[in-house]
Amino acid sequence: MIATSTEVHSERVAARLGLALATTFTICFLTGLYSHFAQHPSLGFELPARPVGLYRFTQGLHVVTGIASIPLLLAKLWSVYPRLFQWPPFTSAAQAIERLAIFPLVAGSIFMLFTGLANINLWYPWHFDFPTTHYRTAWIVIGALIVHIGAKFTTSRRALRRTPKTPTDAPAAGALAERRRFLYTVFGVSALAITFTVGQTFRPLRKLALLAPRRPDVGPQGFPVNGTAKETGALGLANSPAYRFEVTGRVAHPLSFTVDELHALPQHSGTLPISCVEGWSTSQRWTGVRVRDLLEMAGAEPHASASVESFQPYGSYRTSDLNHFQAHDPDTLLATMVNGEPLAVDHGYPLRLIAPDRPGVMQTKWIKTLIAT
Amino acid sequence: MDQDTDRHLTHAAEPNRIGLAIGLVLGIPVMLIGIVGIVRHTDATPPSSYLRFFVGGDLLHDLVVAPVAALVAFVVLRRAPAVARGPLRAALFGSAVMIAIAWPGIRHYGRMRAPDNISVQPLNYATSTATAVAVVWAVAAMWLVIALIRTREKRVAPAQPILRPDS
Repeated sequence: MIATSTEVHSERVAARLGLALATTFTICFLTGLYSHFAQHPSLGFELPARPVGLYRFTQGLHVVTGIASIPLLLAKLWSVYPRLFQWPPFTSAAQAIERLAIFPLVAGSIFMLFTGLANINLWYPWHFDFPTTHYRTAWIVIGALIVHIGAKFTTSRRALRRTPKTPTDAPAAGALAERRRFLYTVFGVSALAITFTVGQTFRPLRKLALLAPRRPDVGPQGFPVNGTAKETGALGLANSPAYRFEVTGRVAHPLSFTVDELHALPQHSGTLPISCVEGWSTSQRWTGVRVRDLLEMAGAEPHASASVESFQPYGSYRTSDLNHFQAHDPDTLLATMVNGEPLAVDHGYPLRLIAPDRPGVMQTKWIKTLIAT
Repeated sequence: MDQDTDRHLTHAAEPNRIGLAIGLVLGIPVMLIGIVGIVRHTDATPPSSYLRFFVGGDLLHDLVVAPVAALVAFVVLRRAPAVARGPLRAALFGSAVMIAIAWPGIRHYGRMRAPDNISVQPLNYATSTATAVAVVWAVAAMWLVIALIRTREKRVAPAQPILRPDS
């Protein structure tokens, strides 16, 4: 961040930027938690199937808010940068503790925004597992933020009190104007960063998505994919004449279908989003067989859950689970077509799962088995 | 709060001790969820790689990014006319942020990892970033024009005769 005035290093500027960052980080943390529990259900949490676009909204918000935080964090660090050189470094035990707690907050914040930005670009210049590390570090940052808010409560409350509208003297008016110019600049740049990236999830602004790593209208059949058939090793198997889809598990009579037999079953269409954890999303019109119909045909229990298995040989998301809300939702499909065309192989031909309010990585492609549980 | 009580941050204020104590009681368990998770999953988070990025990012900011920003402020902005400093600062900061956000795309990092996936980084990011930066400079230029007009109006204003209702 670049500044010419000491006014930008004032308590008031730091407090306002801190408030903005506390807001964006809280949004990122809560939406990140939602995604984590959607992918790793625990503590009795089961992702509801409705509203259809809830996961899409939360993950779009997660990434957009993270991007908006980049200029906010740079400006905040600039506003408090002189404190790095204060001597003595602390004047009391309380101040020493408070300053010590700033390190995980600052280092963790930079880490989270950098790794998040790299991840949405599929760039991994490290040797750690991104989801585990990003998730765990989020707890460190939020914990350090709580400590920081506690320590700064008095200072921030004082600094955030409304400024008198008409300063009484020229130097005060100048200082106020300089602080406002600085804050307008930071919030303006943050707004522009949102404008140039939000189109990857908000289709009306897709043409403004100049800096986004995805466009919702670019990809096979006109929308994106995360992993291709070639990448996951599914390419050779997708067109195999030996392909059969099976319904197994806790069922009265296991079923087996060829692709043609699947097409002969009652078909249903629904408009559902693919919502990627990397922040892009796209809604398409899918057609296929309802999962609940298949479970019923196979004689599964009325409230059965299910899981699906892909024939892709590699990848972390070869299988995924459907809780009973998702398995019995009328829009949860094993799709064979999209927008009236057979699925492209990169979209999961011959058969893929598409269900409401679900992470894109759990919309498993190239399905070979539905297992009632 | 009075104007002159807005302290400049060359020295930290003494923390609120009660607030700090409450913050520690609430915040440390939250931090521990993350720290324990990382320590217990060293297969997923190799400490050397994790610490390199965790500590390295902070050092990169404090020792490179912030000093370079200070240098630019000293060399460029202090020489600019006062009226142009705000717009110029906005243009430089905005450009830096746009380039930082687009950097993985400009370098094609995602496309190199998934060369057969046409939906990854589908744009020419050098061109699109240049467009975004041009928008930033256009907004800053508009700001400068408005600031110049206002400055001129302020200079002209005292010369205007003050018309009284009874004159």
